[in-house]
Amino acid sequence: MFRLGAKQIARAAAPQARNYATLREIEMRLKSIKNIEKITNTMKIVASTRLNKAQRAMQASRVFNESEAEFNKNADPAKTEELKEEGAEAATTPEDKTLLIVVSSDKGLCGSIHSQISKSARKRAQALNGNVDIVAIGDKVKAQLTRTHGDNVKLAFNGVGKEAPNFTEVALIVDEISKLGKYENVEILYNKFVSGVSFEPSTFSIFTSDAIANAPGINKYELENEEITKDLSEFSLANNLLTAMAEGYASEISARRNAMDNASKNAGDMINSYSILYNRTRQAVITNELVDIITGASSLD
Amino acid sequence: MFRQALRQVAKQSSVVRRTYATEAASTPSDALKLSLALPFQTLYTDSEVEQVNLPSINGDLGILANHIPIVEQLRPGLLEIISKGGETEQYFVSGGIAMVQPGNKLTISAIEAFKPDQIDLNTVKNLIVDAQKRADSQDEVVAAEANIELEVLQALQLVAK
Repeated sequence: MFRLGAKQIARAAAPQARNYATLREIEMRLKSIKNIEKITNTMKIVASTRLNKAQRAMQASRVFNESEAEFNKNADPAKTEELKEEGAEAATTPEDKTLLIVVSSDKGLCGSIHSQISKSARKRAQALNGNVDIVAIGDKVKAQLTRTHGDNVKLAFNGVGKEAPNFTEVALIVDEISKLGKYENVEILYNKFVSGVSFEPSTFSIFTSDAIANAPGINKYELENEEITKDLSEFSLANNLLTAMAEGYASEISARRNAMDNASKNAGDMINSYSILYNRTRQAVITNELVDIITGASSLD
Repeated sequence: MFRQALRQVAKQSSVVRRTYATEAASTPSDALKLSLALPFQTLYTDSEVEQVNLPSINGDLGILANHIPIVEQLRPGLLEIISKGGETEQYFVSGGIAMVQPGNKLTISAIEAFKPDQIDLNTVKNLIVDAQKRADSQDEVVAAEANIELEVLQALQLVAK
């Protein structure tokens, strides 16, 4: 009991004795928050300037992808799958694996962008009963997916997404992906840039050459030779991947800008409350000292 | 099951009918609309042009208005765009895909496109010599890559001024 009481006293006495130290502590804390605010603010400015460039790249790649989209709308290879499924019913082979290409990047500090895309990748994998092979583009998404789907991740790339993607980079990735073998279904998961403040995980489906050749609307087009469907399928993978990466990049930059904007605002709030606390503590220390001096002086009288 | 199939058929035929109808309706001006896009840049978007000459792998093609829908793979060569006023724009393209869509639209997705006057003939010649050396390589991959390079460069040489 006595011991406990002694401890209590010691603890109560400590903050009084360390008044100066707390003041210094607050000061240091305040300084570090100010520094962090400077950093987040700079990152925000950097992201804002990059955003324009990223959006331009995204716009260009969207146009680049448009002819493909229009062809798909007219020829409609998606229907091939439906027709096939209806015709064959249960005869579809269960070992048809889906290749899921998840597009993200290496860098963090950009809000929920990576976790959202991996969440939707997990959901998609679950919908397909785990019968998927995953290609992760970007370290962040790789780390998150290997945790839950370690066996499914077949291939991972890093070092992408530092700048707006270019076609050479994409072609190299596609080359590696095509070495994995042939897949009946290929899907690209990416963050679609909706506006400066929002993005949503979306999908591109890549159709195989067979699906294109058997598409219900393919007769609208005159094809010189049959081989072109294969070229088209490969080209469309590269094409869509480029668009996906450009959209992902733009979404990431804008998400980073928002995240950094929020961080700067929060730092500003903290700076305010800490400066008030700092001033108050300083005033308290001064008052304490004055009390000490005056009591000392009056005791001498 | 049957009904579903029937519906499918019905849907399809209606789609076909609709496209024909819209095709007729959406082309009051009988001009060819060209979109020429690179991965990083858009050169033309739905601009009305007179004629486009394409270097396809099956030979050169001239596309005028009301061309039937086609899909063509491009080979390295000169792409010519003749505008309404009769002026000709030339671009050297390294490859890509050109599609004539229903509705009088031509969309070209090229990997690279440059105007002929942007190309330096001397550099091209040097690169050809370099690629020719590699084309004789024992390594099949290197030789194949060099041959592709040669194909592009030789096409470039013809175009460069």
